[in-house]
Amino acid sequence: MKLRDAPIQRKLMSVILLSCAIVVLLMSTAFIIFEYYSFKRSLQSQISTLAEAIAFNSSAAIIFDSPQEANEILAALAAEKRIVAASLYNANGKLFAKYPADLPNVSLPVKPGVKGFRFINGYLEVFEPVLQKQATVGTLYIKSNMEAMYVQLKKYMMLATWLFCCSLFIAYLLSRALRRTISQPILALEQTAKMISEKRDYSVRAVKVGNDEVGALTDAFNNMLTRIEVQNAEITSFNIKLEQKVRERTNELESANNYLKQQNDFVETILDASAHIIAVLDKDLRFSSLNKKGEELYHTKREHVIGKSYLEIFPGTNRSPAYTDILKALNGEYVHNTVAKSAIIDGYFENYFIPLKLGEEVYGVLILSHDITDIMEANEKLKELNNELEKSNRDLEQFAFIASHDLQEPLRKIHIFNDMLGENFHNEQNMRKYQAKIDQSAKRMQDLIMDVLNFSRISKTEEAFTQNDLNIILENLKNDFELLIIEKDATITYETLPVIPGIALQLSQLFSNLISNSLKYNDKKPSIHIATHFLSREEIKANKKLSPATRYVRIKFSDNGIGFEEKYSEQIFTIFQRLHGKQAYSGTGIGLALCRKIVENHHGIISAEGEVGVGATFTVILPITSAP
Amino acid sequence: MKKALGIFIVFILLTTQFVKAQTAAEYQVKAVFLFNFTRFIDWPTTCFEASNSPFVIGILGNDPFGTYIDETVNGETAGQHPIIIKRYKTIKDIDNCQILFINSAESELIKPILGELKEKNILTVSDATNFASLGGIIGFFIENNKIKMQINTDAAKAASLSISSKLLSLAKIL
Repeated sequence: MKLRDAPIQRKLMSVILLSCAIVVLLMSTAFIIFEYYSFKRSLQSQISTLAEAIAFNSSAAIIFDSPQEANEILAALAAEKRIVAASLYNANGKLFAKYPADLPNVSLPVKPGVKGFRFINGYLEVFEPVLQKQATVGTLYIKSNMEAMYVQLKKYMMLATWLFCCSLFIAYLLSRALRRTISQPILALEQTAKMISEKRDYSVRAVKVGNDEVGALTDAFNNMLTRIEVQNAEITSFNIKLEQKVRERTNELESANNYLKQQNDFVETILDASAHIIAVLDKDLRFSSLNKKGEELYHTKREHVIGKSYLEIFPGTNRSPAYTDILKALNGEYVHNTVAKSAIIDGYFENYFIPLKLGEEVYGVLILSHDITDIMEANEKLKELNNELEKSNRDLEQFAFIASHDLQEPLRKIHIFNDMLGENFHNEQNMRKYQAKIDQSAKRMQDLIMDVLNFSRISKTEEAFTQNDLNIILENLKNDFELLIIEKDATITYETLPVIPGIALQLSQLFSNLISNSLKYNDKKPSIHIATHFLSREEIKANKKLSPATRYVRIKFSDNGIGFEEKYSEQIFTIFQRLHGKQAYSGTGIGLALCRKIVENHHGIISAEGEVGVGATFTVILPITSAP
Repeated sequence: MKKALGIFIVFILLTTQFVKAQTAAEYQVKAVFLFNFTRFIDWPTTCFEASNSPFVIGILGNDPFGTYIDETVNGETAGQHPIIIKRYKTIKDIDNCQILFINSAESELIKPILGELKEKNILTVSDATNFASLGGIIGFFIENNKIKMQINTDAAKAASLSISSKLLSLAKIL
């Protein structure tokens, strides 16, 4: 048990006993130490005096070399019981005489030491020089025990122990007597206090014993009890009032809460009814609210996002403009983006980022997103249609311009030959000639009109694509061109062609135009080769005009015809663009323009290369899967 | 016969050598004793001419100490007085000295010498037999192979010399 927790009686006794013990111990110790030192001092002075006397007497014995005399002088030390050994050394430091006579030499110092005394191992040793007329003639050594001192000290210690026990006993008796007058009233007070705290009866009063501090404490305790009684009454009445007030407040709070809940539900209903995404982020970018539209468009649930950070829910948005705008709004800026591509879903939004402020402090961001994906898509489609329309307009303008020129030419001829026919009624031969010319021009005009009709029809076609085996188309064409092939002694070779989606008539027209060109623009025996190659992904990627998601086939038409100059490789696809005079090679100038139109209709590309007199190669790249 | 004579001669030679060696050691001790007397005996101040005049140890007759006594007293003093050695051939040579050693060879002269020196403050020392009884102050004699002293206190008193009781306790008093 700690002293702090011990009863006061115990403490009192401990203090008295402890202080008594300390006093007696200190005094005894001081006394013994003092005795020890004074004994030593007196022993030292006694032995020194003795040594001086002996040394004085032994000078002649040493000088005149009389060890016998010296031994006799030392033998006088027998009267002093404390002396256990003594010796004399001559001027050379050699042992000269000793006491007791039978002492072995080894127990004496071999050489004399310097003058003085030392306490060693409970003995006092003294070296005293032997002088004769100021000259040192030898040294005396005396060794004295201190047993007497130890005996004396032992007696003192016993006395001290006895004193210690006696004083402790007396102190114990004293403390017992004190208990009655000091601790008893305190204990009585404690009993009273305990009783009060157990029974909670504050009307009990402690009995006062004396007028000392304990008496004052009892008075203070009784006063306190009186005040507690009064205060208790006050507290009880106050408590009743407080309870009343709490009940009132609770009721008020409840109704206020109900009103708030109603308001909240109302706001939530409005938010959920909104066609826009409405979300609130706190200043650490954590969702504190997300409406129904948000759940719908982000394919998530409110419970999953509330309390989590924006970047945690939508990773990958940390570089998006929306994220930057949120940060701007957190800095107090009102941000409105009319169009923004969403980094979260595939779509477009009109966004508002509104800082939520409390005074000057921004505590969050209100995000308002209007889904404008449909509008954007409609816009996009409109733009596309517009482009198409513009192109079609341009084509039409070009067409009108060229058609007016090319169609006028046979018409002008018909007109001229008709005039000449009128002037040559009499000349049947000329008439026939002009008639044939008129017929020829009419035929040409018909061809032109047919081609123009074909061309315009193709630009407007919106027929559904079907799968077409190009091998069959080519075989049919070979049949159609049979007469011409035989006439020109032409050969047509081809690698196996694929089945591709498209419009059969147009594909047939494309092949027909290319083969007829090769047959037509040739001054030798025409040799035509058709090569097929399926483009690899790398090749598709290398060509920017192709869609990387689609597979393509490349079909090359090579001939040994008249060819063309490289610089015309683009021009030849323009409508009514002829490189050769009508006299050399017949043609309307629409064929290749038509080919380009057909290929573009099939989402492909066409190009040409050639060398004059060597041949031409037309490359057609067409999708082998349906266009997306 | 011849052989016996030879052995005898060798014996004689050996013994004389031994005696000689022993005599030398004995006189060394005696020389030290002479010097040490200055420490145990007080002379009256009147026997010195000045406070720093020399303290003379005189040797009368044959000198048995050789150089050893000179070495012993070399640089030593008796009080303020530097100790010096003087050697005297005859009694007439003796002037102011404090210690006078009389060689035992002069034994027949001892009585007249002592008569001459009486009343003077001179410590007379000799190893002559019964020197102290004859009126000398300190006589050396050998006992148990040790050099002992015999002191004639009356003679010392007559010479006004005070001898330390410590020295007296070592000697035979006459």
